[in-house]
Amino acid sequence: MIEVKNVKKYYKVAKREKGLSASLKHLFSRKYDLKRAVDDISFSIKEGEIVGFIGPNGAGKSTTIKMLSGILYPDEGEVVIDGFIPYKQRKTFVKNIGVVFGQKSQLNWDLPLIESFELLKYIYKIPQQKYDKNLQKFTELLDMQGFLNQPVRQLSLGQRMRGDIVAALLHSPKIVFFDEPTMGLDVVAKEKIREFVKYMNEMENTTMIFTTHDMQDIEKVCTRLIIIDEGRKIYDGSVEQIKNQYAALKSIEILLENGKKEKYTFDVNKTPMNEVMERLFSKFDIRDISICEPEIDGIIRDIYEGGIRVS
Amino acid sequence: MRVYLEFAFKKFQNRLTYRLDFFMGIINTVITIIVFCLIYKALYGEADSIDGITFSMVATNFVISLGLSGAFDFDEMFLQNKLHDGSITNEFLKPVNFKLRMLSENIGDSIFKIIFNFVPALLFSIFFIDFCAPKSILSIILMIISVALGYLVLWMISFIVQTWCFWLFSVWGIVTIKNVFVNILSGTMLPIWFMPSILRKIVSYTPFESIYFTPVRIYLGEMTGKDIFYGMVVQIFWIAVLYLIGNLFWKNGVRKLVVQGG
Repeated sequence: MIEVKNVKKYYKVAKREKGLSASLKHLFSRKYDLKRAVDDISFSIKEGEIVGFIGPNGAGKSTTIKMLSGILYPDEGEVVIDGFIPYKQRKTFVKNIGVVFGQKSQLNWDLPLIESFELLKYIYKIPQQKYDKNLQKFTELLDMQGFLNQPVRQLSLGQRMRGDIVAALLHSPKIVFFDEPTMGLDVVAKEKIREFVKYMNEMENTTMIFTTHDMQDIEKVCTRLIIIDEGRKIYDGSVEQIKNQYAALKSIEILLENGKKEKYTFDVNKTPMNEVMERLFSKFDIRDISICEPEIDGIIRDIYEGGIRVS
Repeated sequence: MRVYLEFAFKKFQNRLTYRLDFFMGIINTVITIIVFCLIYKALYGEADSIDGITFSMVATNFVISLGLSGAFDFDEMFLQNKLHDGSITNEFLKPVNFKLRMLSENIGDSIFKIIFNFVPALLFSIFFIDFCAPKSILSIILMIISVALGYLVLWMISFIVQTWCFWLFSVWGIVTIKNVFVNILSGTMLPIWFMPSILRKIVSYTPFESIYFTPVRIYLGEMTGKDIFYGMVVQIFWIAVLYLIGNLFWKNGVRKLVVQGG
């Protein structure tokens, strides 16, 4: 469905030095630094997959999404999605995709939500029957009947975001890009959106790409994970796999008789559990003990910080 | 096509949400028209006509050109704002022609202002100013067609200037300068009849005359028969030329955006 081959994107960043004289010089002759926003990324995604696309800020996620959705030309490499080259055949290509930006709403600020949906019906030439069916289904699933007729500017962030998601899905696109759809939402709203996304994937077999900073999103929704950092792909595989790979890393919290707390992290492949226990029991008077599995949050943090290398 | 009608209609609807805006707009237009007419009334003094132009012709010129210029006032920061806050990407993700969409929304906006600003202001001004009655129904119809063409000329000029936001940090200054040129050279402040003959000659080779002056002359009967046809051909000529120029800027700007990432 989605084929990305050796894609590169460089930005020219004007180099500026401090001081007035340097600023004046900058007016006439400029030096540029080449910033590698995306540096040789390849992957392929099959129909119906939900892929989490994560990386620290500035890793090149949004640039990649923009190239995939056709609003940015790659400098090198090739993107083929469902037989289209997005940036060359933008107008025909965009009919098949939906995009949700967590930070930018595509809804009309002054009009009731339903009016924005009506407009989308004409933009995508959605047949009336299909439009009615989709709208009814989505409003039910996302619990939106209460605010369909309210102007968008009066909606809460969670309500607006649900509106944006429906707006991106009304025309039943084959591929949907979500760019931080749960940003700034409360737990309940996040959960509702995750359930909806999963449901859409299962029922319609929609391919979805998800960028987020919330690891819960990834764990609950995505089946596959691509991690990029500094423009390079550093991990591509299932969410389970990355957890298993680091499941061997356990941390133990112990509460001593004197009320003190201690915490140790160890690898069970190197030091088996019974050895660790033996050593702990001989060393301390222990009142309570708890063993923690590694959390995805922690693993990802370690990967970003370069603590763990992904093979 | 249907979708562009919807764009225009939604913009129209959008306008209805701001009521105060609409009442203030009428007052604004009425005051502007009356002030300009009073100034020229004073200039005319006791004279019936100057250079063969009567006061009521001047008043008619102001009612049409000033009145319509209030309605033909686009949001010229539209493209720049879309570019600065990055929401232009949203537009590129829709299977819609962005230029046509901009035009449709502006038309929706202008039609709203004609109905709820120009027409009330016109009816109100009748009590204070004696302007020329229309010559015939045909002249009104021809004027409306010419106004529509003039609108497109004005829009194309505005679009060209707006596309410069791809290269400039802010187009506000350029837009302001453009508006001064439009206001002076299209006859909204100084009727084109009273311009020095050299200036009038120059203006006749620019698109500015096609905006309001051609419809005004059609309404007043200064243009008849073949002249009307000729005037409209000139209007269409300018629309085509300005469109090609605007499109060139637009294409290059969009290329810059998609190649360099803005």
